[in-house]
Amino acid sequence: MLRLYRSILYLYPAAYRGEYGDEMLEVLSEVQAETRKKSALARIGCAAREAGGLLYGALEEHLHRFTGRHDGGRFSSMFPGGRFAMRSEFRFPKATVGLMLVILAAVMFTIEKAKAISASIPHGNPPVGHIHPSQVTILPMLLLTMISAVGAGVISWAVLFALRRSGIQQLSEMNPSSGQSSRK
Amino acid sequence: MEVSEPVLLILLSLAEQPRHGYAILQDTERMSDGRVRLSTGTLYGALGRLLEDRWIERCKEQDRSRGRQAYRLTTEGRRNLQMEVSRLKHLMRLATLRVARKET
Repeated sequence: MLRLYRSILYLYPAAYRGEYGDEMLEVLSEVQAETRKKSALARIGCAAREAGGLLYGALEEHLHRFTGRHDGGRFSSMFPGGRFAMRSEFRFPKATVGLMLVILAAVMFTIEKAKAISASIPHGNPPVGHIHPSQVTILPMLLLTMISAVGAGVISWAVLFALRRSGIQQLSEMNPSSGQSSRK
Repeated sequence: MEVSEPVLLILLSLAEQPRHGYAILQDTERMSDGRVRLSTGTLYGALGRLLEDRWIERCKEQDRSRGRQAYRLTTEGRRNLQMEVSRLKHLMRLATLRVARKET
């Protein structure tokens, strides 16, 4: 496990790695030693959290170096509240499982479709240049599926962004001015 | 800089006494009753930013022979933390008032 962490550490900018690398490895080995007493599920959760945290940290450090900004440029603003980095405990990934089921269903459907296509094509080598009608329809369908998937992604991102603008943003805008008045 | 919950917990941990990386992780978990478990990557991302902004500084751990790298709050960091706490206090007061008013 430590080997995996060490290889992820290589994704960090060299300067950052030189400054914190050894220290981080020391902390990681201590975390590792502590989780050894726990259950397998807790160990997996911990390893996923550490690996995810390191990957996110590496990305953020590169963006920080690139943009010179503390919040890692625009990247962390794409995830409202930085939730990606501060996921506090292990939760069952319902959305991921749902997405995987959808993908599985799509794959099954594709296989069935492919079987139907292969059954409809006469055996032996078909003459070159001859295209079966079912082969013509599959490409637009594939394109349509891809476009709708991208569209769904864009819409959900827009919804997240709108939620962030409406709620969290307003809260953070309100705080500094009211905080100042209480300080005086 | 924006003080998120993990950053606030890190600062609170260092406000008590200087601590090294792993001790901060343990302390944040204890303070939040196990709710916030920082990953090492998140911790060092936050420590790096706090060091850059001079909220915290490095120091050597004294009570151990290993002399691990520890961190402590700077004067400026402590002042900023106090401001952050009074901001939260104000927010809490506001929240309590608003919630109570809605129910009655």
